[in-house]
Amino acid sequence: MCRGNGLVGEISVGGGMTKGLLEKLQRLFGRENVYYEQEDMLVYGYDSTPGIQGYPEVVVFPTRHELVQQAVMIAAEEQMPVIPRGSGTGLSGGCVAVNGGMVLGLSRLNAIREIDEENLTVTCDAGVVTLDLYNAVAARGLFYPPDPGSQKISTIGGNIAENAGGLRGLKYGVTRDYVMGLQGVLSDGQNFATGGKAVKDVAGYSLRDLLVGSEGTLGIITSATLQLIPPPQDKRTMLAYFRDVGSAAEAVSEIIAAKVIPATLEIMDNTTINCVEDFSAIGLPRDMAALLLIEVDGHPAVVEEEAEAVMAILRKLRASETHQAKDVVQAEQLTAARRTALSALARVSPTTVLEDATVPRSRLANTFAEIERLKQQYSLAVGTFGHAGDGNLHPTCLADEGDCEQMSRVHAFFDDLYNMVLDIGGTVSGEHGIGLAKQDYLRRQIGDGGIKVMRQIKDSFDPVGRLNPGKIFVE
Amino acid sequence: MDIEQSKQPAPPGNFVTADAPGYDSLLQCMRCGFCLPSCPTFQLTGRERSSPRGRVAMARAIAEKKLDLTAAMKEEAFFCLDCRACTSACPSGVQAGSIMEHCRSQVARQDGVSLSPARQLRAFVLEKMLPSPGLMKNSLVVARLYQRLGLQWLVRRTGVLSLGPQWLGKAEQMLPWLEKPLSDGLAELTPARGEKRGRVGFFLGCVMNLMFAEVSSQTVRVLAHQGFDVVTPGKQKCCGAPHLSEGDPITARKLAVANIELFMAQDVDYIITDCAGCGAALKDYKKMLEGYYDEATLHAFSAKIRDVSEFLAEQGLRSADLIPQPVSVTYHDPCHLAHAQQITAAPRILIKAIPGVELREMNESDWCCGSAATFGLKYVDASHKILKRKLANIAATNADLLITANPGCQLQLAWGLKKADMQQQLLHIMQLLGQATPV
Ligand SMILES: Cc1cc2nc3c(=O)[nH]c(=O)nc-3n(C[C@H](O)[C@H](O)[C@H](O)COP(=O)(O)OP(=O)(O)OC[C@H]3O[C@@H](n4cnc5c(N)ncnc54)[C@H](O)[C@@H]3O)c2cc1C
Ligand code: SF4
Ligand code: SF4
Repeated sequence: MCRGNGLVGEISVGGGMTKGLLEKLQRLFGRENVYYEQEDMLVYGYDSTPGIQGYPEVVVFPTRHELVQQAVMIAAEEQMPVIPRGSGTGLSGGCVAVNGGMVLGLSRLNAIREIDEENLTVTCDAGVVTLDLYNAVAARGLFYPPDPGSQKISTIGGNIAENAGGLRGLKYGVTRDYVMGLQGVLSDGQNFATGGKAVKDVAGYSLRDLLVGSEGTLGIITSATLQLIPPPQDKRTMLAYFRDVGSAAEAVSEIIAAKVIPATLEIMDNTTINCVEDFSAIGLPRDMAALLLIEVDGHPAVVEEEAEAVMAILRKLRASETHQAKDVVQAEQLTAARRTALSALARVSPTTVLEDATVPRSRLANTFAEIERLKQQYSLAVGTFGHAGDGNLHPTCLADEGDCEQMSRVHAFFDDLYNMVLDIGGTVSGEHGIGLAKQDYLRRQIGDGGIKVMRQIKDSFDPVGRLNPGKIFVE
Repeated sequence: MDIEQSKQPAPPGNFVTADAPGYDSLLQCMRCGFCLPSCPTFQLTGRERSSPRGRVAMARAIAEKKLDLTAAMKEEAFFCLDCRACTSACPSGVQAGSIMEHCRSQVARQDGVSLSPARQLRAFVLEKMLPSPGLMKNSLVVARLYQRLGLQWLVRRTGVLSLGPQWLGKAEQMLPWLEKPLSDGLAELTPARGEKRGRVGFFLGCVMNLMFAEVSSQTVRVLAHQGFDVVTPGKQKCCGAPHLSEGDPITARKLAVANIELFMAQDVDYIITDCAGCGAALKDYKKMLEGYYDEATLHAFSAKIRDVSEFLAEQGLRSADLIPQPVSVTYHDPCHLAHAQQITAAPRILIKAIPGVELREMNESDWCCGSAATFGLKYVDASHKILKRKLANIAATNADLLITANPGCQLQLAWGLKKADMQQQLLHIMQLLGQATPV
């Protein structure tokens, strides 16, 4: 693999485990919850971020809250880093062990403890899979909106630690908007609890809000109380096809400007359309430059009205074709297909380097134009999709990490793109976090002052740097 | 190109011999994890290395010389059920199941041919018996064992045979009936009834022939009643899937060529099979023989292959004179139909077309039944759990009949239903259709 290609690359192996320590862990956690063989270290050394591979020294899966605490205390005694891990679907290398240490797998801590229909909350363990939570509350007539593309696999703990967004972000917000309370363990093994079922809470600093999006660097989340809402009574799913990407982007800005807030407003360009169609075969238009997937939901009368308003804008902007999903099954097929976009793009090339640029929504068309220009300039194959309604685009370079020259062009492409994104008031990460992959860009965005404050926050939570060292900040 | 040679120039990295997984096929995995919820072995253990993502990552590490073909890697290669659920789930088109098949072949070769009785039996079954059905009929004990264990298992986990005679005895008791092989009694041509719609070849799988002769004779009856002349060439050979799965691609290629030549010499519009495993293998000949055999013929052959459900749904079932069957049924999707061939709608279309039949969908109908893992003593526990989950889903439907479409599943499910004292009767979809077909 080539160095300096924008990927983080191979990370060296940490020190060894002693036999005594291993036996102690096995006794406490059970043999089946402690892994230490080299094959396990390999497969718990990655997430979904391309080109990053670390090697922890041991992986431990606590099955109770108290065991999380014990694990952290043992790590402290042994002076080992602790790296929390959900399902390893992160896109910035968050759960990758940079310098050996203990990967703390939270996925076996996965009970849904309480669905409180009086307070409209659910309390669950950190390892519950997002979609399982969604289904469990839906069975009780309630709705948990955050739905990252990875919802079938990702954990609630991982979602909170990355403040994950999703396809419904435009209308319903992101994970943060649903986190009411958190419980967990601090870097020295002390328990914490912050927030709860009270809808309002201004008692001191909001530790809860610091922990949301903290990427496992401030504390280990063991359980969360999340807000639920009543599900929309009705919804309408639409597709619009465009012959040029610019018009699609304009349509997004216009829909927002018309004060219609769809639940979902997703974009896919031609490359993405073709890859997704290769996998899902649901009849997407292979020759179109872009498509928008739009879903409006709510009270039936409002849905009717908003759908009409959206259609009018699409007609005005001369969408080539517009379609409405004929039933729930078809609507579900379309959103499911959109969720596979990133993985489907990986069909084309060995390495898919995806970014997470987010811009003010009125600037979407400019951003697309810039992506197009840079793509030509660096002669790269790029597929772009994303949560257009949030201004959150995922331009994805279809590359080959074995080709160093090409990888340096990929790096230059994103460098230039981020400069532009920052110039127009955007952010280098809308939802995937900084982790290992974007540390350089973070400094560019928030400056030395911003970094300093963030570091001080980190130090006050975790003075010795036990939790997920090497993440967010350039070491 | 010579069939005995591998078309790969050199095995990548620490892979030992030819027919290793291609490096590109390993890079294809972007580690999104979409396959994790569908992999039965991962659901069982929760351990990343028993998942498609983990298995491919280990194979990639071997190809990149970061890992040897270690014991753990071998174990995971053999623990993989080859159910292909991951292939259906993977948006990137990664074939983890097939990559593991290649890894198993590496193991077989690296370990070399030893002279233990188990190895000899394996060699005998794979190289002698299967390629020539005649021999297979005459060595019933081995054949029965081999069959009963589900195509992959006996040979793959030959270790179990070294457990000695008691174990063999116990396994013997679990063997079900053994019918007279169908190939003895089946005419080379069964003429169409009613208005003729075409002429098809019938591929009689080894297990179907020996264990489920009743099913295949129904398949032929149904096809004839549906208006097709059915040609069943006597000289057909094993499809080669077990050989491939066991890491013997050379014999597999030889068998494939024999079958292609045999069937392409017949004047038939389609080649039909009622064994999902065989169907998947036959459709794959194109890939298996790529570079070894005339491409046009390969394409022509593959284009003719149909699973019997796929075929009848495509042609349209003539249901006017079917005898009503007042039963409720639930359908189990065999992995080799649903995941290897992406056929899920066709069997349901047929079931619903039979008057009187009520289809009750079970949860997770396309989950592996665990057949591949049934008798591997090492994984008995794993296989049990997979089967239990399946049985619970079946029980919840309260349907009168359980329908499936693959011999491996049929063996496993029959055993499971019996063990769990469940009342459901188990039929191949062609048996159900056969019951509805007038004499
Ligand atoms: C195909 C695909 C589609 C995706 N789509 C989206 C999308 O639409 N929106 C979006 O926002 N993201 C998306 N993602 C990114 C990813 O799924 C999310 O970041 C998700 O929240 C990660 O969850 P996880 O359980 O896999 O966490 P992991 O990857 O295991 O961990 C992520 C981070 O959280 C930390 N962490 C995990 N659990 C805990 C815990 N209990 N306590 C403290 N820290 C913890 C880890 O240390 C790490 O820093 C997608 C990823 C893929 C592969
Ligand atoms: S095999 Fe496919 S679905 Fe599974 S992790 Fe790899 S790319 Fe994703
Ligand atoms: S073939 Fe089946 S058991 Fe093997 S990795 Fe794929 S899903 Fe898992």
